[in-house]
Amino acid sequence: MTMKTTRARGDRVSFAGLQRAIRYLFRYRRVAVIAYASLFISTLAQLMVPQLVQATIDAITRGGALAVPATTAPPPFTRADLETWLIASAVGIVGFAAMRGLFAFTQSYNAERASQGVAFDLRNELFAKIQRLSFSYHDQNQTGQLMIRATDDVEKTRLFIGQGLMMVLQAFLLLFGTLIVLWLTNVPLTLVILPTLPIALVLFMAFGAVAQPLFTRVQQKLSTLNTILQENLAGIKVVQAFVREPNEQARFNRAADDLMRQQLVIARVFSFLFPFIFLIMNLGQAAVLYFGGRQILGGALTIGEWQKFSLYLLYVFFPLGMLGMIISQMSQAAASASRIFEILDAKNDVTDKPNARALAPIQGRVKFENVTFRYFGSSEPVLSRVSFEANPGQTIALLGATGSGKTTIINLIPRFYDASEGRVTIDDNDVRDVKLDSLRSQIGIVLQDTTLFSGTIRDNIAFGRPDATMDAVIAAARAAEAHDFIGDFPDGYDTLVGERGATLSGGQKQRVAIARALLLDPRILILDDSTSSVDLATEYRIQHALDQLMRGRTSFVIAQRISTVLNADQILVLDKGEIVARGKHEELMEESEMYAEIYHSQLIGDAGTTDDRRPATDDIPPSSVLRPRSSVEAR
Amino acid sequence: MFHGPGGPRHLLAQETSKAGNVGATLARLGSYFKPYWFMLVLVTGLMIVNTWTQVITPDLTGQVVDCFLAPAPEPQFQELSKATLEMRATNCWYTPIHPNRTMDETLAGLGGLVATLVGIYLLGAILGGLMFYVMTWTGQRVLKRLRVDVFRHLHRLSVGFYAENETGNVMSRITNDTDTLQQAINFALIQVVSGALLLVWITWNMLTKSVAYALVSMAVVPLMILATTWFSDQARRAFRRTRKEIGNVNANLQESIAGVREVQAFNRENANIAEFERSSAAYRDANIRAVAFTSALAPTLEALGYLAIALVVVVGGIALLRGENLFGTTMSLGLIVTFLGYVQRFNQPIQQISVLWTNIQSAIAGAERIFDLLDTQPDVTDKSNARALPPIVGAVEFDRVDAEYKKGERVLCGVSLRAEPGQTVAIVGPTGAGKTTIINLIPRFYDVVGGAVKIDGVDVREVTRASLRAQIGIVLQDTFLFSDTVMNNIRYGRLDATDAEVIAAAKLVRADSFIERLSKQYETVLGERGTGLSQGQRQLISIARAALANPRILILDEATSSVDTRTERLIQQALEELLRGRTSFVIAHRLSTIRNADQVIVIQDGEVVERGKHDELLARGGVYHALYTSQFRREEQPATTPQGVI
Repeated sequence: MTMKTTRARGDRVSFAGLQRAIRYLFRYRRVAVIAYASLFISTLAQLMVPQLVQATIDAITRGGALAVPATTAPPPFTRADLETWLIASAVGIVGFAAMRGLFAFTQSYNAERASQGVAFDLRNELFAKIQRLSFSYHDQNQTGQLMIRATDDVEKTRLFIGQGLMMVLQAFLLLFGTLIVLWLTNVPLTLVILPTLPIALVLFMAFGAVAQPLFTRVQQKLSTLNTILQENLAGIKVVQAFVREPNEQARFNRAADDLMRQQLVIARVFSFLFPFIFLIMNLGQAAVLYFGGRQILGGALTIGEWQKFSLYLLYVFFPLGMLGMIISQMSQAAASASRIFEILDAKNDVTDKPNARALAPIQGRVKFENVTFRYFGSSEPVLSRVSFEANPGQTIALLGATGSGKTTIINLIPRFYDASEGRVTIDDNDVRDVKLDSLRSQIGIVLQDTTLFSGTIRDNIAFGRPDATMDAVIAAARAAEAHDFIGDFPDGYDTLVGERGATLSGGQKQRVAIARALLLDPRILILDDSTSSVDLATEYRIQHALDQLMRGRTSFVIAQRISTVLNADQILVLDKGEIVARGKHEELMEESEMYAEIYHSQLIGDAGTTDDRRPATDDIPPSSVLRPRSSVEAR
Repeated sequence: MFHGPGGPRHLLAQETSKAGNVGATLARLGSYFKPYWFMLVLVTGLMIVNTWTQVITPDLTGQVVDCFLAPAPEPQFQELSKATLEMRATNCWYTPIHPNRTMDETLAGLGGLVATLVGIYLLGAILGGLMFYVMTWTGQRVLKRLRVDVFRHLHRLSVGFYAENETGNVMSRITNDTDTLQQAINFALIQVVSGALLLVWITWNMLTKSVAYALVSMAVVPLMILATTWFSDQARRAFRRTRKEIGNVNANLQESIAGVREVQAFNRENANIAEFERSSAAYRDANIRAVAFTSALAPTLEALGYLAIALVVVVGGIALLRGENLFGTTMSLGLIVTFLGYVQRFNQPIQQISVLWTNIQSAIAGAERIFDLLDTQPDVTDKSNARALPPIVGAVEFDRVDAEYKKGERVLCGVSLRAEPGQTVAIVGPTGAGKTTIINLIPRFYDVVGGAVKIDGVDVREVTRASLRAQIGIVLQDTFLFSDTVMNNIRYGRLDATDAEVIAAAKLVRADSFIERLSKQYETVLGERGTGLSQGQRQLISIARAALANPRILILDEATSSVDTRTERLIQQALEELLRGRTSFVIAHRLSTIRNADQVIVIQDGEVVERGKHDELLARGGVYHALYTSQFRREEQPATTPQGVI
């Protein structure tokens, strides 16, 4: 059953990806050639050693112990002759051993260099591709998965290219080299040991085939165990609060038992297979001992040749062992390689046209003309026939439930996706006709879920314009109400932001993100005006910063706040991908029932009265316009 | 004994650490092995016999040569080999030879000797396999006990421990340390011990046969040890560098992929790619450097091995050719063959011992850390004479309670309050004021440092925690769900509840409507930590869980994160249902909850600054009024907000 599943999996593995990965070796031709040449030389040197061992022993036996075989009638040797012969052969052994060592080193070192080069290229290509793939790709792929492609899968592929491939070649060289030498030395004895080879090969293969799935299963059991551990650590309060320790302990105990049993299954297989393989090898030696011995007694073999045989026998088994392992390594590498190329071959649906031109500095007129958008492979449109026009400097508020298409609209403007039908234009340029970087550099974006990058605060503010002067950065930070808190850090603008902004609070991150967008001084602004759990003062400051940011720019706002809606030049109410109402607040209050409903139930009311700049906080939850798909449908 | 692809590299690339108190750790680890002492004796016995099979074979192979294959030397050397002949005669202890042996007798003798060898090989294989299995059998049992011990201990540790130690760290410490320990117990230990035994035994055998010849044969051993230690050391150092570099690569990947939307929005692709290529190249170079050492190790050892062979053959051979004694040892061809066999068995154990030794050291260090964890004293424990708390009515009293997390840093100071059975107490105040501390004291997640928390007049420290907590229901802000079915997640509240009771609880708190819409309803398996559900849905499940437990006292930390309107309304209704008739402590964020509360406690800087009902407090115009006007008032503006008005 185990074998069957492995085979089934193996069948699906295509080796095309692996072949392509191997072709990357050509970029490191010189190094690879050195590696392969070294492999060849070192293997030949290795094959020479037993020959010389034979020579030394023959030298000894001629003098000290044994009748020389009739076949090679000896000239009358003196002892001095034999001693010279002996020493010369021994020096030869050392010489060839040194040569073998040296070239074995250059072989594996250069193989590593070449394969690391391949891994380097694959990694970089993956990274570049991933950075450029459009949002629709990233919507469907998780960060963790993509990371595994660029690390684990690259490493598995590299291992095969750097070692597996070499080992296959080496195995065959050794195997055939040895068999040829043995055959030339003594045919009958070769025939005696020949049958052990296929047995050993089958065993090694079986070992590879059996071991892999067993290890996989141990991994599964281990991860079950770790999940329980992880859950109990993270949920310790719940466990203790509900007094579930005994049950969790029983659960853990079961999982630990399972793991133990699975480990013992492996142990059983290993404790049988490993010694068995060595037994076969030793039986080969015993056969040589006996049948070789008979031949020696019959004068058909010298003791030197006989020693050579047993040395070579070791050489034959070693490559067989390697082949067994390489097979499982190869199928893993093939699977990894095809996953890598799956990404490298992914079609990027948003790229510059060949004749794309740079977008000249814009006014900020944004027009949607009958825009329909559906995700790749989906027939259900997310936006259908949306048309509107935003004049330079206008603020457009987008309202609607989750999934109504608000986010899609704002993602189409900087061309994170392409419209399926219709077109989006900026100052009458179809966004698909201009260069992506010229388009995006004129659009500022503040997303709700702020991502900052490791580096200093300054680096983060200057994210979109790394060449900005310090004065410009400070000015942007001031306008974003971030300057004060940055000044409070001991290192000021050089404060390191931990991974994903760990050292900053939510509100601080948001203001850095606003400063980041401000620094671009974009004509068009896209933002999510929601702020997640920050305290009152911060909330107020963020609102203030956003107001600064929007002044004089064409702004698209996914609206959360009444003030935003009240001040908007146009409100677009979306439902299921269509604009169901549009206009200003007063008009909509009268005309659109849906708007009135959303207004009352969802918007965070910062009073809606005269004082519409009163700070608001998100401490009050029933607020977000971001998620409630059902809130609209419900009624 | 074949190394996997890459040889010792895999082992050298692992992180290593050194233990502080090796003796104590080993003794304690030993106590885990104690129940299996018999198995260890068995393993030792098997190991000795198995090693014997490896030591005896070169000797027998030598006898094959001396006793059967090497007849009279060539005429011109006849006079020299007299001593050799005698030596051969004494050497052949297995099958004594006599001068007038027939060919048939020789063949039979040869056959017998080889058959014995085969028998020994067979014995070695069986014993070797058995040894490995018995060791794994024992080791896995020890590991399991250790794992379970650690797990139980984690349960005993109080919430305070988890506040100080990040779960991720604890988790990776436990998994990594048990992992190294497992490797050592399963593999390294037996290899190192039997390798050492083999080395000693072979050395002993060689020395008893011929001191001089043994010394010649072992001349390269110091070089082997030196080379192995030096290369492994360098390689380890170099691999430490690669771990740092792969860390950079991963950080870079993680950030750039997770933040890919920002990267594209700000046109940062090229800059990021250039940066990645730098860290990618550093990783590549670090690897190549490390591999330079591992690639040198095996060939060096192999070359030294051949050097040993050459020495054995030359020194032995010349002595044999000259018919001279080698410092008192008469040479024979069989002896040369025997020594060749020994020398070939040297290489592997030396390499293994040096590579695996650090592995064992790390394992000891890992065991030490595990024992440290096991030695961490839980700060909340049942008193020795603690009794079970009888079914309670639900009166909760804080009597001048002081609390601190770190010594000397008061988080609560002289807090007194009293909740009558069935009352709802809303706790409000700014972040860090001590609201969470108050609710943590009731189920005794922490202990007070002054004053007392009493339930029905009984100090919570006087009763067993299990009996106390069983009567308290808790709904936390950060809802924790297990990767299990919805049914079982709710049932977590009361394990003996029937399916019908679970469903009833879900219905009661109105969670059934969304559960019914899940792909497999109540049997839907939730991802880790409840992924697949929205925040609000997760809250509903945890509320259902508390409802099923049907506790007299309820502790509720209202979530601040935003959920959609419809779910929000469901949650409010659910909570109202849940609070009814129970003594409840609520860290309140909803105005409706506060208004419904029998008491509102306003906490600031660890002290109760105001208390009373919503209206009274509002009228007072103090801290609560300020809080209210800044936070809650706007909730009233859109008058249609559900639950907004009583």
